Amino acid sequence: MNKKIALIAFLSISVSMGFSQTGTLPRINSFIDLSGTIGESQGAIAASYVHNWRLGKTKRWEIGYGVRWTSYFGVKNDFTTAPGRLARSTTFPFLIVFAAHETKNEDTLQVQRPFTNSINLSTNFGYHFNNHWSAGFNIDVIGFTFGRTSSAVLTSNGVTKTENAARPAAFNVLLTGDNDIGSLNSEFFVKYQLNNHWGIKADYQFIFVEYKTTTIKQTAPDGTMVDRFRNKANLFGVGVSYHF
Amino acid sequence: MKKTIIILSIVVMFTMACNKNAGSSTATLNEKVDTAAMVVNNTMPGAFISYGQNVTGTAKLYVKEGKYSLALENFSTNNGPDLHVYLSKEIQPANFIDLGKLTSTNGNQVYAISVKPDFTQYKYALIHCQQYNHLFGSAELAK
Repeated sequence: MNKKIALIAFLSISVSMGFSQTGTLPRINSFIDLSGTIGESQGAIAASYVHNWRLGKTKRWEIGYGVRWTSYFGVKNDFTTAPGRLARSTTFPFLIVFAAHETKNEDTLQVQRPFTNSINLSTNFGYHFNNHWSAGFNIDVIGFTFGRTSSAVLTSNGVTKTENAARPAAFNVLLTGDNDIGSLNSEFFVKYQLNNHWGIKADYQFIFVEYKTTTIKQTAPDGTMVDRFRNKANLFGVGVSYHF
Repeated sequence: MKKTIIILSIVVMFTMACNKNAGSSTATLNEKVDTAAMVVNNTMPGAFISYGQNVTGTAKLYVKEGKYSLALENFSTNNGPDLHVYLSKEIQPANFIDLGKLTSTNGNQVYAISVKPDFTQYKYALIHCQQYNHLFGSAELAK
C-alpha cells in the first residue's frame, strides 16, 4: 500500500514538475518540420514552416499559422465522387462531417499513378505537457496543387471506362468535410523534444486528394455531370522538427 | 548504424507502399474449358494482334448453361506490370469489362465472365497494362 502511495506521489510530482517547466518556454514557437507517412498503396512526404504563439501564463497551449508542402503519391488508388451534395446527406458546414454517406451516388475513379504536390496555408494547435512532450493538430486551409496527369478507370453504374488524363484539382480550400475542394492535409502528432532545437514526432495524417477527369464524366442520379473525385488517405509515420 | 537502419526501413516501407503491381506469372498454364461448353465465336478465329509486345494466340468465347467464359489458347505475351484481360467495345479500351489480371504470360487460360455482355458491342478481347494505360494486344471476337 505504501509503495502504491509513494508511486502515485512520485508520478504526481514528476508531472507537476513537468508542467511547471512550461513557464520557461519562449512565447513564440517557430519551427520547420519534415514528416513521412505511409498507408495502403500510398504515402506522403510533408514539409512545413510553423509559427505558433504560446498562450496564457503556463504557455501550455499554442496556436498559429504555417505553410505546408505535401507530396502525395500512390498506386491504383480509389477516388470516389467528391461533391458534398452527392457524397453526403447534408452539406451544412461542420454537420457534413457527421452526415450519412450517400453511397447510391458514389462512383469510383481508380487513378493509376496519382502524384500531387500541394502548397497550403495551415492553422495549427498544440498543447505542451512539459518541456519534452507535446501534442498537436493542424489542418490546411487554402492553397494550390500541381501534379502528374494519370490514366484512370471510372466504374460508373456497372460500366467501366478508361479516363486517359485525370488531373489533380488545382485549387484547394477548406470548407469542412466533403464540402472541401482540392487536396488538403490534416495532422495529429505527439512530439518529443530532444533539446532546444530538435524534436521527433509520431504522426497521423488524414489527406484529402482530389483528381478531376477530362474526357469522361459520371452522370449522377440527379442528372448532373461529375468530374471531381476524392481519395481520403489515412497515413501513419514519423517526423522531425527543428525549432528556432 | 542506427541512422542507416532507420533510413533503410523508411525506404523499404515506402517501396512496399508503392509496389502494388508486379508482373504476371510466366508459368505455362494449361487450363481447359469444360468439354460441354460451346464456342460462341466459332465464325471468328479471334487471333491476337500484337502492339510491340509479342502477343500471340487466340481468344474464344464459350458458353455453358448460360455462363460465359473467355479462353486464351496457345497464348503468349511479353510480361508487364498490371496486365489485365478486357472485353472491350473498341480496340482501345474506352468502354470495357475487366475480367481480371492476366493469370500468366504463357499457355491456355480461362476467364469467367460474370455478366452476359452484348457481344455485338463487346467484340474485342484485349490484353492491357492498366497501370500505364498501354495496350499489349487485341483479338476480334465478332464482326
